Amino acid sequence: MAAASSSDSDSGRAESSEASSKWLDAHYDPMANIHTFSSCLGESLGPGTPLVVGDLGPSGQHPRLKVLKGPTVLTESPLPALPAAAATFLMEQHEPRTPALALASGPCVYVYKNLKPYFKFTLPQLPPNPLEQDLWNQVKEDRIDPLTLKEMLEVLCVCRFLQLELSEMEAFVSQHKSKSIKRQTVITTMTTLKKNLADEDAVSCLVLGTENKELLVLDPEAFTILAKMSLPSVPVFLEVSGQFDVEFRLAAACRNGNIYILRRDSKRPKYCIELSAQPVGLVRVHKVLVVGSNQDTLHGFTHKGKKLWTVQMPAAILTMNLLEQRSRSLQAVMAGLANGEVHIYHDKALLNVIRTPDVVTSLCFGRYGREDNTLIMTTRGGGLIIKILKRTAVFVEARGEAGPPPAQAMKLNVPRKTRLYVDQTLREREAGTAMHRTFQTDLYLLRLRAARAYVQALESSLNPVSVTAREPLKLHAVVSFQVCRAIRLPQGQEGRGQG
Amino acid sequence: MAEERLATRTQFPASAESQKPRLKKAQEFPILEKQNWLIHLHYIRKDYEACKAVIKEQLQETQGLCEYAIYVQALIFRLEGNIQESLELFQTCAVLSPQCADNLKQVARSLFLLGKHKAAIEVYNEAAKLNQKDWEICHNLGVCYIYLKQFDKAHDQLHNALHLNRHDLTYIMLGKIHLLQGDLDKAIEIYKKAVEFSPENTELLTTLGLLYLQLGIYQKAFEHLGNALTYDPTNYKAILAAGSMMQTHGDFDVALTKYRVVACAVPESPPLWNNIGMCFFGKKKYVAAISCLKRANYLAPFDWKILYNLGLVHLTMQQYASAFHFVSAAINLQPKMGELFMLLAVALTNLEDPENARRAYAEAARLDRCNPLVNLNYAVLLYNQGERKGALAQFQEMEKKIRLLKDSPSLEFDAEMVEMAQKLGAALQVGEALVWTKPVKDTKSKHRSASASKAASLQQPLGSNQALGQAMSSAAAYRKLPSGAGATAQPTKPPSLPLEPEPAAGAQPTEAPAQIRETQE
Repeated sequence: MAAASSSDSDSGRAESSEASSKWLDAHYDPMANIHTFSSCLGESLGPGTPLVVGDLGPSGQHPRLKVLKGPTVLTESPLPALPAAAATFLMEQHEPRTPALALASGPCVYVYKNLKPYFKFTLPQLPPNPLEQDLWNQVKEDRIDPLTLKEMLEVLCVCRFLQLELSEMEAFVSQHKSKSIKRQTVITTMTTLKKNLADEDAVSCLVLGTENKELLVLDPEAFTILAKMSLPSVPVFLEVSGQFDVEFRLAAACRNGNIYILRRDSKRPKYCIELSAQPVGLVRVHKVLVVGSNQDTLHGFTHKGKKLWTVQMPAAILTMNLLEQRSRSLQAVMAGLANGEVHIYHDKALLNVIRTPDVVTSLCFGRYGREDNTLIMTTRGGGLIIKILKRTAVFVEARGEAGPPPAQAMKLNVPRKTRLYVDQTLREREAGTAMHRTFQTDLYLLRLRAARAYVQALESSLNPVSVTAREPLKLHAVVSFQVCRAIRLPQGQEGRGQG
Repeated sequence: MAEERLATRTQFPASAESQKPRLKKAQEFPILEKQNWLIHLHYIRKDYEACKAVIKEQLQETQGLCEYAIYVQALIFRLEGNIQESLELFQTCAVLSPQCADNLKQVARSLFLLGKHKAAIEVYNEAAKLNQKDWEICHNLGVCYIYLKQFDKAHDQLHNALHLNRHDLTYIMLGKIHLLQGDLDKAIEIYKKAVEFSPENTELLTTLGLLYLQLGIYQKAFEHLGNALTYDPTNYKAILAAGSMMQTHGDFDVALTKYRVVACAVPESPPLWNNIGMCFFGKKKYVAAISCLKRANYLAPFDWKILYNLGLVHLTMQQYASAFHFVSAAINLQPKMGELFMLLAVALTNLEDPENARRAYAEAARLDRCNPLVNLNYAVLLYNQGERKGALAQFQEMEKKIRLLKDSPSLEFDAEMVEMAQKLGAALQVGEALVWTKPVKDTKSKHRSASASKAASLQQPLGSNQALGQAMSSAAAYRKLPSGAGATAQPTKPPSLPLEPEPAAGAQPTEAPAQIRETQE
């Protein structure tokens, strides 16, 4: 059993340190060695089903599929490639209705059932560029030579061929003459969409976002492509609502900083939300799309794209997810921040703040084991934190701005004056005119003396004076309270006496 | 545990295509975009170290062909400040995929950041050919034209951008153009539209409030600043602006409580401490005022307003030698201001230097265009020195200025000044009643508060009573009350104004000017 060996507490209820906290600390293991994103946490779909985690490994090496039950990692199996997203869903209607786990990595979706590999779906290959295809055909028939091919390809696109040396080109061409050109794309994000019923245990389709700026909806039973939609940019986060057969809305946050909203039967996005920064997370709460942005803000938008509200976060947002407390029908947004806190918001209002020992990189709230309201977090250092929401916990919205900010109560720190200051003030009042006159006289005398000294120095050529502007003089002066005596000249100059 | 442990590569049945020949090809041609999603995720989470590691790995694997990896690497360079390298990488991206307008936009932006605005404009135009309706291209073209000072073209481009897609940033840039051209009204129009579009943007609200303040429309200014504060109670500019407005109305305590908030957030701000100092001055806590002003002076030694205030407070405290220094420092920084010379003259008068005081007053009268107080004080000095003709001439100048100012609606004259002018008028036997039909306000605020935002290079509105009340101490200095009112003996000897035509006992001053002023209020 790898990892998670040094866990200290059991899955029992370890009491939290603050009695007034709404959360019970169930488990904290900083050595759990789980590195993942929120998109790779597969929610457990029923009592007794474990949590599955697509673990990327500490530096993106050794991706593994980890299954968690209780506080410990139940099983671990290596994955063929880094998982981009994980989702649990029900594939079929007939019994036994065990949920399946889908892991998207590279161009393929690996489906596991009962933790055993079940099916692998590969994205269809993209049709090649017809011009390119034409060129390769010509090469195949030896109508043009590799050099010409290279020149023409350079205009079209980038490919491996262009990197080869001339000698290698011939070999390359002969090797691949017979094969056809293929282009393969990669899955960037994945989510599930209910097919025709809105029940919790209804069959779901898989929605994939690809690097080719497309969205694909897959049928769960036959893994055929039910629908294809295209976007202006590569999707990063997806949020769906509705059912595929009836009516659905899909929001896709893309790499160009925009969020596109599509509806059923539309090939292209219907609405577009332009953020001025990159979206970091996308969560749908009832009819509001909550978007976290790179500029440490949280925005709420309607499903038509109108901005409703903005909240400023104290630190950068790393991850976001939905918190749904079914017993009180509360839906809120959780945001993991870079300062080690997790903020929970209901619309604009901050409901709760959880402080964690390390920065949280992924969040998942839902049923886990026998507990309904469990929050599972993994941290940047690879730790695992499990907290349980108390049954009696009620989230109360803070009453807006409760009066002026607390800084207003702090007094200004005006610098204090000493007795000496007061004495000096009185003295000045008494003898102000005399002081002024003495000072002015002395000032004029000083200026006079300085001018005389300067004239004298000029006349007796004591000062080296630079003739050309290109060679400025450097003087090092030592100032003391007596008359300035020591003027050190740099080595190159002739010191013709004392300055 | 009954579950199996799969240590080896799992076998998957029923894949869409056969494994083997693809496997070979897959090894030869790894998919270029394999880990773009990971690079992107690290980048948006600001995890730049991890991002760079993945980028390096990907570039090695794909031998430098992965465009997105190069793109994000260039973005990270830009964030770190290596704009030149960032530019080179973006140019590589543009070469790798020439049809992508995004890469060209990034190249143009890098050129812009390097200060090569003309080159940036060319690249933007090229990008515009690829993608006509991109508000970002129009916006950035507008910004480049601003830097090249071609304001008309900038104006057109920014308007295009607004047509395509409205954004706060575009409005702000348009407003800036109008401000640079000095057209306040148009700027206000633009900001009004912007605030309609985006009512929660505190920056827009604050800027609009400050512009109204500049024009003297205090009601609207206060409204907008108040709105900005409701959305963000710790907004520095809005608090300073609102506080300075409260100070002009005499609400020193409220202003001080507001300033406390900013003092926690931005403790080292010279205008803040200047305003706090003047609040204390208004509350007559002169020592506290001096402390605060000295701190402001320490933070910003070249700010003439702080030096002016220091001079004023020291005059009030009868520390004329110190006042002289501060005011002369202020004059060195701001040589064309009449009021400064007037303060200097007051200080010199109290330092028993009447000739220099006269010269200072002459300079002040020469420079000043609208403040009747300067002429009044000059007239008083001349009268004291026995030059009735000069005094009369200055008095008439003062009356001219008052007549000009009467047209301004929000003007209130300071009570002391009115009284002094009337007395002087009587002494000079000017005869006709002075025309003081404007309401006279009993003011407590006789100071100049620094403007809220130094960056906006705001000129203080000079028409209001706060300007007129600036150096009331000087006017009061020349008042000698008949038959010994307030006759506390002080050793200083300021010349005073005899109220009877014959010089009553020459210049036998017995009152200290500040003393008188305090009893008056």
